[in-house]
Amino acid sequence: MNTWHAGEPSDGGTAPEPDGRPERDAERLPGAGSRGRPRRRLDLAALVIVVVALTAAPVGVFGYRAAHLRAPAGARVVEIIARVPEQGGFGPDHITLQAGEAVRLRISSPDVVHGFSIPGLGVDIDEIYPGKVVEVDIRPERPGRFPFACTRWCSVDHWRMRGVIDVVGAPIQGGVTPDGVVATQRPPLYQRLGIDLDAMRHAAADVPSGRPSASAGARSAFALPLALSSADERRATTPADAFARLRADPSNSARTDGEIWDAVAWAWLKDLRPDELAAADERFARDCAACHGPDGNRDGPAGKNLPGLAKMDPSLPRGPADFTDAPQMLAASDALLEGKILRGGMGTGMPEFGSLYTEAELRSAVARIRLFTFDR
Amino acid sequence: MTERPPPGRTRGYALSEIPIVRRALRSRWPQFGLTAIMLAFFVLAIVAGLAGTPAGNRNFGIVFVWIVWWALLILLLVPFAGRMWCGVCPIPAPGEWLQRRALVQPRPGGKLYTLGLKWPRPLRNIWLQNAGFLGVALFSAVILTTPAATALVLLAFMIVAVGTSLAFERRTFCRYLCPVGGFIGLYSQVAPLELRVKDPAVCAGHKEKTCYTGSDDGYGCPWMVFPGSLTSNTYCGLCTECLRTCNRDNVAIFARRAGADLLQTSGRRLDEAYKGLIMLACAFIYSAVLLGPWGELKEAARAVGTPGWMAYTAAFLAINLVVVPGLFWIAVRAGRWLGGREGETSSSQIERLATQAPPAMAGATLPNFRVGAIASSLRAESGTVSAGRSEGIPPVEARGEIASSQTPLLATTVPSLGGALLATTAVNGSARVTARGTRPGRPAVRGMSASTSELFAGYAAVLVPLGLAAWVAFTLSFVLINFSYAWPALSDPLGWGWDLLGTASLPWTPYAPGLVPLLQVPVLLAGLASAIALALRTAGQHGQRPWGALPVAAFCTASTIGLLGLYLA
Repeated sequence: MNTWHAGEPSDGGTAPEPDGRPERDAERLPGAGSRGRPRRRLDLAALVIVVVALTAAPVGVFGYRAAHLRAPAGARVVEIIARVPEQGGFGPDHITLQAGEAVRLRISSPDVVHGFSIPGLGVDIDEIYPGKVVEVDIRPERPGRFPFACTRWCSVDHWRMRGVIDVVGAPIQGGVTPDGVVATQRPPLYQRLGIDLDAMRHAAADVPSGRPSASAGARSAFALPLALSSADERRATTPADAFARLRADPSNSARTDGEIWDAVAWAWLKDLRPDELAAADERFARDCAACHGPDGNRDGPAGKNLPGLAKMDPSLPRGPADFTDAPQMLAASDALLEGKILRGGMGTGMPEFGSLYTEAELRSAVARIRLFTFDR
Repeated sequence: MTERPPPGRTRGYALSEIPIVRRALRSRWPQFGLTAIMLAFFVLAIVAGLAGTPAGNRNFGIVFVWIVWWALLILLLVPFAGRMWCGVCPIPAPGEWLQRRALVQPRPGGKLYTLGLKWPRPLRNIWLQNAGFLGVALFSAVILTTPAATALVLLAFMIVAVGTSLAFERRTFCRYLCPVGGFIGLYSQVAPLELRVKDPAVCAGHKEKTCYTGSDDGYGCPWMVFPGSLTSNTYCGLCTECLRTCNRDNVAIFARRAGADLLQTSGRRLDEAYKGLIMLACAFIYSAVLLGPWGELKEAARAVGTPGWMAYTAAFLAINLVVVPGLFWIAVRAGRWLGGREGETSSSQIERLATQAPPAMAGATLPNFRVGAIASSLRAESGTVSAGRSEGIPPVEARGEIASSQTPLLATTVPSLGGALLATTAVNGSARVTARGTRPGRPAVRGMSASTSELFAGYAAVLVPLGLAAWVAFTLSFVLINFSYAWPALSDPLGWGWDLLGTASLPWTPYAPGLVPLLQVPVLLAGLASAIALALRTAGQHGQRPWGALPVAAFCTASTIGLLGLYLA
């Protein structure tokens, strides 16, 4: 503690010279002689004002929050911060809930626009703007594992932005979650068929001279063999093998190659309903186009620096698969393509979507990809 | 009512003599109330920064500090009210209250919770403020966009301010440390507002100097400034303590001509010169980093600790400490070469310039004088000065507002390229230098022998209007565009999904974006015109020929063109 004192000014203003400097004396101490009850009251009022100024913000903010966060009907509130994967992705990325528990998810983004989808619980939030909070109420009735993911291309590592909700409380029934998400014990088709997703394949020997047309194939009244008319059977074969089989059939000897390719196209697209195609279009734009390009010709901006199959064989080109490469696509079965989508590319840069897509979505995604080779 | 101005000086209208203003300034409650309100917002900004959303555009701390407050400061408070913000700034308030053990009324007995240390003499300048500002500016890409960083910076300011108040006398933090106060002080010289004494003679005869030492009515100047010697707004914090403590009622706040402080370009300091250069350089860097289209530059500025950021830091410091000062030094040096004339005395230069000036224009600029008669009148001014010193008035006080009263900056701006102006600036400059510098055995006109560093500091006055215009233009470029973020931030200050006022969902809406360049261009050109006029004046006041100002004028012009390119390209 020190008493108030005069000192020479340091600069800027010039103080009186030492000989002219005012003496330090008690008579000039500020406030001397101004005691009294009114003054005490004013001091108290000032103190209250300062205390209010210092505490209004924290008390108001946290008090209001405590009241505001009470979700209706006693629901638990879970805050999820969605950051770009390079900054940590979802936080938390693993949430455990009790079956039947009412939960309000409050999702916010500190950086860029994200999306938020829990396919198994029917949650699909298209946009979470930075600094805005989006709330969604869920009540998962049955136990299971429900992956959630960002659905906006928020960064080059967007596909890594995933998380999982585990709903506990009773054993999981069967191999498929009640909502149909492929996330359980039933092996996918490519595994049942023993397809090695990472094996290098030869390109198809026969390719059409033009784009095969499914509608032309439908008009040609082809009698498709069971292997092509049954979806399950067809998924196990490749279009190139199907062409070869039809070409070899003597009953088709009068058909041109183009007509047979049209029949193959029809076989692959005949089961694709318009509504499925529309949904598949959306998913393709959301999940695939950034790397594979909107036209499927691997010119998407996010795919430019991906290693692609060069990761496994340096002689192969870098980057994502080219869906317009007919020899390659015609030599790939649906089971193989589904496996690629389901499992991901193991270092090639291809994310896994098995935890996010239902089986029907997987199939329609493959059918959508076939449209880069076949016309409807 | 306004006191009669002393001989050789004119004062503007004394705003503090208006009864309601007088009452408001003498009572401590309005100032205390405003400070408390600012403190509440300040605390909210810190809380929002630390606990709120990291998204800057939705966080009160970012939106209200770097958009709303900054816009008020740069566009309104500093240009029009000088350091008025410092008078209600919440940062030093808690420290000052602790130091005084009083919130409003001075405490009886005057005991202070401070060690009362004096700030070390070598640091009694604004070099630390320059360094502090550079430090904050270096991290600005992070601080301005990251609420937590803003909150930590504000918190650090307050902690340092409190610590400084407890250890050192008065408002040492504000005077020597506050990075913001440094540039506010620099640009407050432009303000059409000043706190000055009404009559220096009254101060000279007032032995107690209660404005500086304090009295029962208040504290001695917290800014360690003797009001009687004030010639510039730079270090007056407009706390108005001296209005309360002057028992001769000799202190007032005057309206004045804008930029009057800048008309005195001699005797300026290198630390202030560097402040001007740093501010100009930072205006460029901010504009490029925060507003420019170079994403990699922005990324490098934000990625603290990475090799890219290291390179950015090196470039940032080089531009601030070497490139821009170096270019300015070269301009000054070239001006010295162009403008200096060996062997020319002040009177012969004045006579020469007077005869070169077109009489009609000279008469228009200086209605009360005939140019040819100025030299003799200046001698009379010198006499007045000598008398003042003999009476104990501080010498700096004797640097009367001779020039400023006769040739206001804005008046010189318009005909800046005219011969009359050249003559006028030179004549007035000589007058000031003669009045200040006449000593036995020294040349009458110091400009002939003025060192480059003196010229460097003197010419740096041009950086005040130039830099302020740059910052106004920079601020305009984002304030109108981003001000609409304020409405959601008011309703949801922490970005927690609240909607207190029903404005949380108001979309981002740029206000009059087409107006921005229409405002920026005239602002930058006005800053350039003022800078060139000041450069010419500086040349005159340092005894240089008018074209000695050309390199500095070219520097200013190039800077303005660069800024125009950044904003309009």
